[in-house]
Amino acid sequence: MSASWNYVFKFIITGDAAVGKSSILIRLTDQRFLANPDPTLGVEFGSKLIEIPEEGKVIKLQCWDTAGTESFRSITRSYYRGAAGCLLVYDVTSRRSFTNARTWLADVREHADPHLSCILVGNKTDLCDEPAPAGRPREVPTEEAELWAKEEGLLFVEASAKSGQNVELAFEQAARDILDKIRRGVFDDDRSPGVKLSKPVPNSLSLEHKRSTTCCS
Amino acid sequence: MEFFSQTYVALRGPTGAPQTAADTIGRLSDRLSPATLLADRRAAVLALKGLARDCKQDVGDRALPGLIEVLENDAEVDADIGKAALETLNILCETDDSASGHGARDLGFKHTDAVLATEKATHVLFTLLGDNSFYIRFATLQYLSTLLQNRRQIVQAYFLKSQAGPRSVIAVLEDKREIIRNEGISMVQALISQSPDIQKVLAFEGAFEKLFATITQEHGVEGGVVVLEALTCVESLLRFNSSNHSYFRETQLPPLLCTLLQFPPAMPFNEIAPQEFALQFWDDNKTANAAAVVRIIGMLLSTKANPAQEVPAFTRCLLEIALASNMPTPIKTQALRLLPTNLNYPLLELTVTPYMPVPETNGEEWDRLEAASALDALVELALHGEYNGLDAAKRSKDGLELRTAAVCVFENFSRKEENKQAIIATMLPAEGQNPKEYPPPRPLVHALIAPPNELDMALVTSTQLAALLFSHLLRASSSRVKSFAISLTPPPFHIAPTPTAGAFFVPADGVAPPAPPAAPEIDDDDPPQTLLQILSENLTLVSLARKRTDNSEREAREWDRLFVAYLSLFSQWLWDDAIAVREFLNAGGLSVLVEAINQTNEADSIIPGLCAFLLGICYEYNRQPGEITRSTIYPIISRLGVETLTGRMTRVREDERFKAVVPDSIVLPYPTPSHHPGLKPEADGEGEIWFDWAFVDFWKSNYFTVQRGLGTDADQLAASSGNAESAMLVASLREVIQKQAQEIEALTSKLGAASTAKSGEVVALEQKLSSLTTQLQESEDKRKEQDKEQEDLLVLLDELSNKRSRDKQRMKEAGLDVSEDEADDDEEDE
Repeated sequence: MSASWNYVFKFIITGDAAVGKSSILIRLTDQRFLANPDPTLGVEFGSKLIEIPEEGKVIKLQCWDTAGTESFRSITRSYYRGAAGCLLVYDVTSRRSFTNARTWLADVREHADPHLSCILVGNKTDLCDEPAPAGRPREVPTEEAELWAKEEGLLFVEASAKSGQNVELAFEQAARDILDKIRRGVFDDDRSPGVKLSKPVPNSLSLEHKRSTTCCS
Repeated sequence: MEFFSQTYVALRGPTGAPQTAADTIGRLSDRLSPATLLADRRAAVLALKGLARDCKQDVGDRALPGLIEVLENDAEVDADIGKAALETLNILCETDDSASGHGARDLGFKHTDAVLATEKATHVLFTLLGDNSFYIRFATLQYLSTLLQNRRQIVQAYFLKSQAGPRSVIAVLEDKREIIRNEGISMVQALISQSPDIQKVLAFEGAFEKLFATITQEHGVEGGVVVLEALTCVESLLRFNSSNHSYFRETQLPPLLCTLLQFPPAMPFNEIAPQEFALQFWDDNKTANAAAVVRIIGMLLSTKANPAQEVPAFTRCLLEIALASNMPTPIKTQALRLLPTNLNYPLLELTVTPYMPVPETNGEEWDRLEAASALDALVELALHGEYNGLDAAKRSKDGLELRTAAVCVFENFSRKEENKQAIIATMLPAEGQNPKEYPPPRPLVHALIAPPNELDMALVTSTQLAALLFSHLLRASSSRVKSFAISLTPPPFHIAPTPTAGAFFVPADGVAPPAPPAAPEIDDDDPPQTLLQILSENLTLVSLARKRTDNSEREAREWDRLFVAYLSLFSQWLWDDAIAVREFLNAGGLSVLVEAINQTNEADSIIPGLCAFLLGICYEYNRQPGEITRSTIYPIISRLGVETLTGRMTRVREDERFKAVVPDSIVLPYPTPSHHPGLKPEADGEGEIWFDWAFVDFWKSNYFTVQRGLGTDADQLAASSGNAESAMLVASLREVIQKQAQEIEALTSKLGAASTAKSGEVVALEQKLSSLTTQLQESEDKRKEQDKEQEDLLVLLDELSNKRSRDKQRMKEAGLDVSEDEADDDEEDE
């Protein structure tokens, strides 16, 4: 079981309150949509295996869902440093959340590893497809977000945690980007805190080694 | 020069005047300002450190801000001044100082509050923690520990805002220098206490891995107190923290927990656990460490969401610890208690091999016992205690705790109806077997029916625990299990070679115990007694024995205990089971109860109360025709007085032995209540059992029903509130159903009539339709024929007119007079 993936990447999901960070994580790990999640207190954890077929690599994503509420920001910063990838989420029906993304990005840039791969994710696209009253008008045009992402050197995708559209893709793109950086030697395999090559824990007892060979699920 | 001497005089003060400590401290504090030379500041700090203990107040008042300043500016540059400043601050903030009095404690808190007034000092400390210098790091850790101890929540809040915090803490946890690492682990313990956010951020930074690295480096559970502290840290990182739970399960660490106990985590189900796991040497240190590991395993097992894949391994590990290892008794108890309440593990299929110490070897040599199913081993453990009942007679509290924990696991396991039936099935003779050829007596039944002829402490406990186990099988059971139980006919009791030995034997000893002596011939006309009859008989025997006048206090108490065990079992067995009630009454149970209720012994309130309760149950559920009916019991109840009976029952609830029972602990210190005259524990830590929680719960919920039932007339059935209610409910539901059935019937017939009428109409219409169709067809045909005829006629006419015009022509040619019109007609007529 321990040999079934090649890398472990640590991801954080950040952005304003109520843009759907927890929903994206739950969509990724459980393939379901949470209609009314509680405002996340602190950080929740989830993980998922994804495959990048053209690289022939299986990657374990460990994602920390951070709290958007302002009062928790200082805690959130602690997570930036240890992450290899970051999903910066805004709500396409809220101009404000998009504007605030700049502040979040500044925060990430200040505290995170300079090589961190960051993808800008416009969430809740499902809302603008639906007619009112259930739907809400789009406030952030795709082109504008795309342009800003390009300026800042971010990856970009629009997604919907409700329908599941592009959610996995967002993580995949970011993971590809990190893999690419590893190949180019930017991430020094084991020395970056957010990237780990898969191998038995160095300090595990001998029985543990035996186990990893005999027990593969 | 003049300037210097003046300054010196100013600093020194007037010559000859004695300097007060306050003056000196004031002057030293002034020197802490950054304007002075580093060497001067260092000297001042050292001097202040010397004074801090004796003049805590003055130094605190004057020097605190300066010291913090020094920490911020100088500590990184000069380790000596940093260390001295930290130590001084630590002395100023200490509150656990036993040497100084109460005032010093308050001062410590006051200084702590001053230091923590802003986040600055804390942030400086966490930055300094990242410093690799031994003294700085060590002194910082000590000071942080002091601050955390005094004002934990404030420090925690500052920590979450500090840049360097998490990183420095992790650096400390992986410090190669043992002293620092160990000090760090104890600081972390305080830091993460009750703060899920800090727990998460440290887990994110890799605290689990670092802690386990320390644990393995320090030789696992064999290691010293640092291992225990690291394990405690792991435990607090996980407790009440679902986020960390899921993260921890992601790592490769969970199997390591089994490995720490020498238990192979990936062991196949049908393999026997290895001996290096089962038999180990234990000292206090190792016991504490192993207990911590077991606690973590139990915690991981208890989470309901996303069960870890290690669940089977963990469950098995805990079972093996309790049933087939030489771990210390408290760990075994803990292991059993931590098994999940919705235990879903094939206990009947798992094979374990219990061990037993070889006598006189001081626990250094062990015999491996015959392999048995985990369930058998569990029952055996409950009935006879550890190691085949080696110390059962001593009745230590630890031992009893373990045995009652085993009973709880049995209860949880048998909560599932299918498991219950499987257990009962093992007690019945195999199908088609001659009922006279008894199956080998199951240990549970065997212990239950042990005849109470002589008082044997171990035997009393066995019977008592067997009664507890058996009542778990009966309580809230399906009618199927109840009918099994009523027909249970155990083989006659025979005394095992040694009264306390269980069913296991030591294969190493060569021979199996001699086969049980053949059951004595029974007269054909005397059918074998059922379990219920045997138990009723035993009840009578005990009720006689407890009245013997030559009993010592201790003996009398044991008889009472046995009596209580039977009464509790019967109460739960007869509840809502009319057949069992009839059997019990036929076996003469009534007289025993009445006699015990009548007994007026002030010292004991439990037995009359229980008997009144059981009598109430017998009265309430007496619904089968038999020799003793409700009308037989009614006058007895009237004579005893409903008031009296209720009063007896009330007193049970007030008894210490009943009140002291709580869900997770039913073992009481011997004797309870402790101020019992004439009773003394035979050994330190002797315990006793009276009731289990299930019975206390049963009593509390049904007490009122019984009380009400006692007050009802004999001809008024089903008085119990619960039953009356449900009967009413059933009646009303039945009525509703009947009404609905009638309605349905009426509707069906209506529907039938309607549909037959409709179908008749349909047939008629169809017939009409077909006749009309044929008519139509006919007329159509006719019309076609006529059309054709007409056409023929037209053709003919056409021919004729042609011919006529030709003839006319010819006649014209022939000079004949041709009429214009009439002639035409004439000719046509030709």
